[in-house]
Amino acid sequence: MSRPAEDVAAPDDAAATPTTAGAARVPWARATAVVGVLVVAVALAYLQSGSGIVVSQAVVTGILVGGVYGLVAMGLTLIFGVLDIVNFAHGAFLALALFGTYWLVTALGLHPLVALAGNIVAMFVLGALVQRGVLAGAMDRPLENQLLITLGLAMIIENGLLLFFGADPRSVALPGDRGVAILGAVADLSRILAFAGALVLAGALFLLLQRTRLGTAIRAVAASSTGAELVGIDTRRIYVLTFAIGTACAGAAGTLLAPLVTIEPTTGAQFTIIAFVVVVLGGMGNVVGALVSGLVIGLAEQLGGLLLPGQSPLLAVFIVFVLVLFLRPQGLFGRSG
Amino acid sequence: MRKTWIAAVACALSLGLAACGGSAPSGAADDAPAGGVGPDGTIKIGSLHPLSGAAAADGQQMDNGARLAVEAINEAGGIKSLGGAKLELLSADTQGKPEVGQSEAQRLVQEGAVGLVGTYQSAVTANVSAVAERNRVPLVIDVSTADSILQQGYQYTFRVQPSSTVLGAKGAQYLNEVATAGGAPVRSVAILHEQGPFGSAIRDSFTAEAERLGIAVGPVIAYDAASVPDLTTQMTQVKAAGVDVLVVTGYYRDGVLAAQAVQTVQPGVAAVYGVANGAFDLPQFPAEVGQAGEGFFDANYHADMTKPETQELARRFQERFGDPIRTGAVLAYDAVRVIAHGLETAGSADPEKVRDAIAGAELDTLLASGGPIAFDERGENKNAIPILMQVQGGAVRQVHPGEFAEAEPIYPAQPELATR
Repeated sequence: MSRPAEDVAAPDDAAATPTTAGAARVPWARATAVVGVLVVAVALAYLQSGSGIVVSQAVVTGILVGGVYGLVAMGLTLIFGVLDIVNFAHGAFLALALFGTYWLVTALGLHPLVALAGNIVAMFVLGALVQRGVLAGAMDRPLENQLLITLGLAMIIENGLLLFFGADPRSVALPGDRGVAILGAVADLSRILAFAGALVLAGALFLLLQRTRLGTAIRAVAASSTGAELVGIDTRRIYVLTFAIGTACAGAAGTLLAPLVTIEPTTGAQFTIIAFVVVVLGGMGNVVGALVSGLVIGLAEQLGGLLLPGQSPLLAVFIVFVLVLFLRPQGLFGRSG
Repeated sequence: MRKTWIAAVACALSLGLAACGGSAPSGAADDAPAGGVGPDGTIKIGSLHPLSGAAAADGQQMDNGARLAVEAINEAGGIKSLGGAKLELLSADTQGKPEVGQSEAQRLVQEGAVGLVGTYQSAVTANVSAVAERNRVPLVIDVSTADSILQQGYQYTFRVQPSSTVLGAKGAQYLNEVATAGGAPVRSVAILHEQGPFGSAIRDSFTAEAERLGIAVGPVIAYDAASVPDLTTQMTQVKAAGVDVLVVTGYYRDGVLAAQAVQTVQPGVAAVYGVANGAFDLPQFPAEVGQAGEGFFDANYHADMTKPETQELARRFQERFGDPIRTGAVLAYDAVRVIAHGLETAGSADPEKVRDAIAGAELDTLLASGGPIAFDERGENKNAIPILMQVQGGAVRQVHPGEFAEAEPIYPAQPELATR
């Protein structure tokens, strides 16, 4: 089943359009439901733990960690929505960006936030080269081809990092990092910064997709590449640009995450599973949906740890995931077909 | 809805891929018979460690430790009872995956290894020990904590490091001794542990001994070491419980997260106390977390840095590999020495005879230990014990029991936090 034929035959594939429901109308009913469930979860967590500070810490940490999940998932969802590629290399790109940040900070003595700009540009170029050089030929091929290519890329990048940097864990310190009190809870400045970065990135991508000609073209290609081609859009160029933007998102995430994580060649991969969950939960290709569902997952993980003591926090995450997919197979903010 | 399916498949695949790896190509079936002295007079020893993947840093250290042991033995004249036969190390990468470890162990045995050392992860070791048993080739475990490995009635598997039962029980005893000596006896502890078999086993043995000593245990908080992004919520639970001491059992990355969370949340405990913690006693831990890790304890198996032989090994290791030696590498070094000692005593390179010689061996060790390496009928090292380390002035120092101490323990470790 080739892509164009499928897209023409199935007009309801527009569910994957990287528009956001929010552009036209805010989905109040769903937003209320999400907030309602959250309130119930917080109340139960309070009853279970019996400490207000523990719960408020869980909520603050959940939101901040959720922002990180959203940050990592944004590039992934963009690539997914437009190119239909399950990008297994996203975690490896993230690891590459982490090591890039490490190198810029330690070798060149840059401030981590200055390294951000360099990292975004470098990863944008890398993404464009990878799409043009490696993936372009597989665009009309079956799904497995692209999947295996990205998987291979991930292995090459991870083992390349192992070869050049060695396996020793590394770290990047944010100058002036300290704990900040919020609502009786505390959070590290670096985490708040990463969260703010996630908000800015989501906003920028949203504006790019909704308000620019390029964004309109990207959405058109996502809706129907054949249709987009018929109205004169160079789809190959859009594919390259979208993949590059998605990879640049991994670059931004890499720099913002660098002070929060232990940097190893496998660090990126540890986010991959959660990132896929976030992408599906938020609706494929929906950037703002990725941010919101990142928050949902972050909160589910932290509150779930309180509600189900002794269990893996991932249990709560997957309970939420399965429930949402059962009730809304297209994801929280995907459009129904 | 096609994309939903694609995504679901992707999720399933990424979960699956985390669990399984590409099977390693098994070496061309060698004509050499299993074990014995090779045609060129060398005797092969297999080293199985995770040289790639998440534990690669430790795996490479351990492989290097095994390599240094082989070189040292060869320099000293090889195996004298076999006419000075030289040893050769066959290194294999388990990737940290049980099935890869299993196929690699099989390959090394086919290539003529008379003994194996490894493997760091308990799950991998469990599979490799089955291969060793089936092929009647001795396996000397350097690092792998799980008690269950040696509860299968295996004849060919031996373990140099202490089991989780010993680690947890001794950990509780040392805590009690150090705190009492410091004038602030422990009444209550919280346990923060990774949820796998390693963390759970340590939790159980520590809890049993602590309760016997009259220390209340709780809350007990588990986390997933592979995915946990942050430990501040867990640390706030500890703070809310108002316990005397926080006990942490886990691996490196999560140990760093714990230290960061302690600094952020300030749980107000008299000490942060690792039991077999994979971070707190490593030389790079104080460097990574800085002031946040100051005063942290870790009760763990450890190289005895007060021994001149160990200091000499550490110097050679640093010189050769440009990396400070970790205890894992010292254990691998000792594990190879155990096999060499078996060869020497047996006067034969027949794996079954080597096995019998190892079972009756008594060999001095570079580790902090209650005596020489000697194995009981299950294959556990009878004299293996942990010792207590503490981060002092940005370096990991041995502090307890007295005969291993490089420095006095400082308890309460964070007095400014302890005054609540």
